[in-house]
Amino acid sequence: MAAGRIPGQRWYTPYLFVIPALVLFGVFFAWPAITAIQLSFLEYDVVSQPVFIGVENFTRIAGDGRFWTALLNSLLFLVGMFPLLVVVPLLLAVLVNQRLPGIRTFRMLYYLPVVTSMVAVGVAWEYVFHQQGVLNWILTGAGLLDQPIQYLLDPFWALPALVLVEGWKSMGFYMMIYLAGLQTIPTNLYEAAKVDGATAWHRLRHITVPLMVPYIAVAVTVEMLDAMQAFTSIYVMTRGGPQDATLTLGYYIWSAAFEHYEMGYASAMGLVLWVLMIAMAVLNYRLTRGRTVMP
Amino acid sequence: MSLPMRLRRAGMYVLLTAIALVFVGPFLILLSAGLKPAGQAVFSFPPDIVPRPPVLDWAVEAWTAIPFPTYLLNSVIYVGVTVPLYIVVSALCAYPLALMTFRGKNLIFFAILSTMFLPSEVMLIPRFLVVSELGMADTFAGVILPGVLSAFGIFLLRQTFAGVPREVVDAARTDGCHELRIFWHVMLPAARPTLAILGIFGFISVWNSFIWPLVVLKDSAKYPVALGIAYLAGITGTDVRSLAAGTIISIIPVVIVFMIMQRHVLEGMRGAVKG
Repeated sequence: MAAGRIPGQRWYTPYLFVIPALVLFGVFFAWPAITAIQLSFLEYDVVSQPVFIGVENFTRIAGDGRFWTALLNSLLFLVGMFPLLVVVPLLLAVLVNQRLPGIRTFRMLYYLPVVTSMVAVGVAWEYVFHQQGVLNWILTGAGLLDQPIQYLLDPFWALPALVLVEGWKSMGFYMMIYLAGLQTIPTNLYEAAKVDGATAWHRLRHITVPLMVPYIAVAVTVEMLDAMQAFTSIYVMTRGGPQDATLTLGYYIWSAAFEHYEMGYASAMGLVLWVLMIAMAVLNYRLTRGRTVMP
Repeated sequence: MSLPMRLRRAGMYVLLTAIALVFVGPFLILLSAGLKPAGQAVFSFPPDIVPRPPVLDWAVEAWTAIPFPTYLLNSVIYVGVTVPLYIVVSALCAYPLALMTFRGKNLIFFAILSTMFLPSEVMLIPRFLVVSELGMADTFAGVILPGVLSAFGIFLLRQTFAGVPREVVDAARTDGCHELRIFWHVMLPAARPTLAILGIFGFISVWNSFIWPLVVLKDSAKYPVALGIAYLAGITGTDVRSLAAGTIISIIPVVIVFMIMQRHVLEGMRGAVKG
């Protein structure tokens, strides 16, 4: 039934259904989005009247060393989380896609960090990273370290430590994205390959990965958006320190706005982040779209 | 089963268990720290995991160091109000998008989908100003209302409604059923599995929400439990044992809900990716 007249339906019936959603959209998305753009051309500290300053916020960004540090750190997050969220979860998905008794329990356990709050995860990992904690015990015991490191206080190790925590928390989520994909691959493909004598590595390389390209594309996009927005782990574990070693764009924007009340400058940085994220999503779409699914 | 097969399978379980330890281990360390008696070191080489004997003193201390019952109750209120609202708003919006023809339908759908591409850091500041302008800063409404509209929920329900056989809807319409009755008596029951998925995902995300309540709330008496834990962690002199115990308490509700509903969560993820 297309636009045919439906008994009892007035022309405005559909609109009555969508009104609540549209009001919320207007108030909490459209209005703030417009405000964000306006704000980035203003100087505004919440207390005094906003002042129009043209593109001054943007020229300030260009000369702000901390902004570039934050951008670099965000990109390091992005690169560091790539193997953790795009590559490892694919292997995990292959592992938990086997038909074994109890496999659901393992899937559930791997997913556990996804459902717990980042605050709880951050606290838990502070215990793991402790100078006398498990990680130092394992690494010194294995001879990889001469003496324990205070990971979160070390300008070199703090960022990799946070990347590890963020990656660890979300791996289960990406595993499930891949598992959804794996379950669409017909099993007879693998059986045929086995008959032809293909090893597990060959099956992964030549059947699984090519067929999973659309899912890998989804994982890459979500990973980029996730990595560029990392905030809570930093807030809980390092507050951007030591010496700005874990200052990311998300944290810097929050700190500028809600610790220093520079709403205009923070919004301008937010817009730059927004443009960057859209550019990355488009680039990723371009790169993966043309790929053929079958080899 | 042949012997090599059995060995292979045993090896597989060893591998699966070792990986499981990586994902559960940090929580076990937390649990162990929260249960250890005062005389037993929290950190040592080699790690001394088993509390001898397990004590609840630290849980009690965490419970009283911050207004824990208030925070838990606040989180229950945030979840209890946000999740039903979000499901009703999503379902109402998804229904005409799936089953009616009207002017502006595509525009509305794409406007709502576009909200997925607004990064939370960018929206944080202007949304805070809007909420302040509306007089909702530092209120429960200010925490709840911006989280009610969900493109994910509308998208998923639209798919589900569109999958309900047309004949069912048309039959109800020719019987003279009012659209709201069809929505309530035909569509919602048909979408029950999707509603369950949205309910669980909503519960998890609201229970764990952090950055938005952090920005909106000044009065710590309105904190949800995740903020309460960050607050506890920030108090200098908080004992590592009571911080661990408090953190464990904060995740128990969500872990229980997840364990009970895990099949829905994991199936739901699959449906969402395919959708």
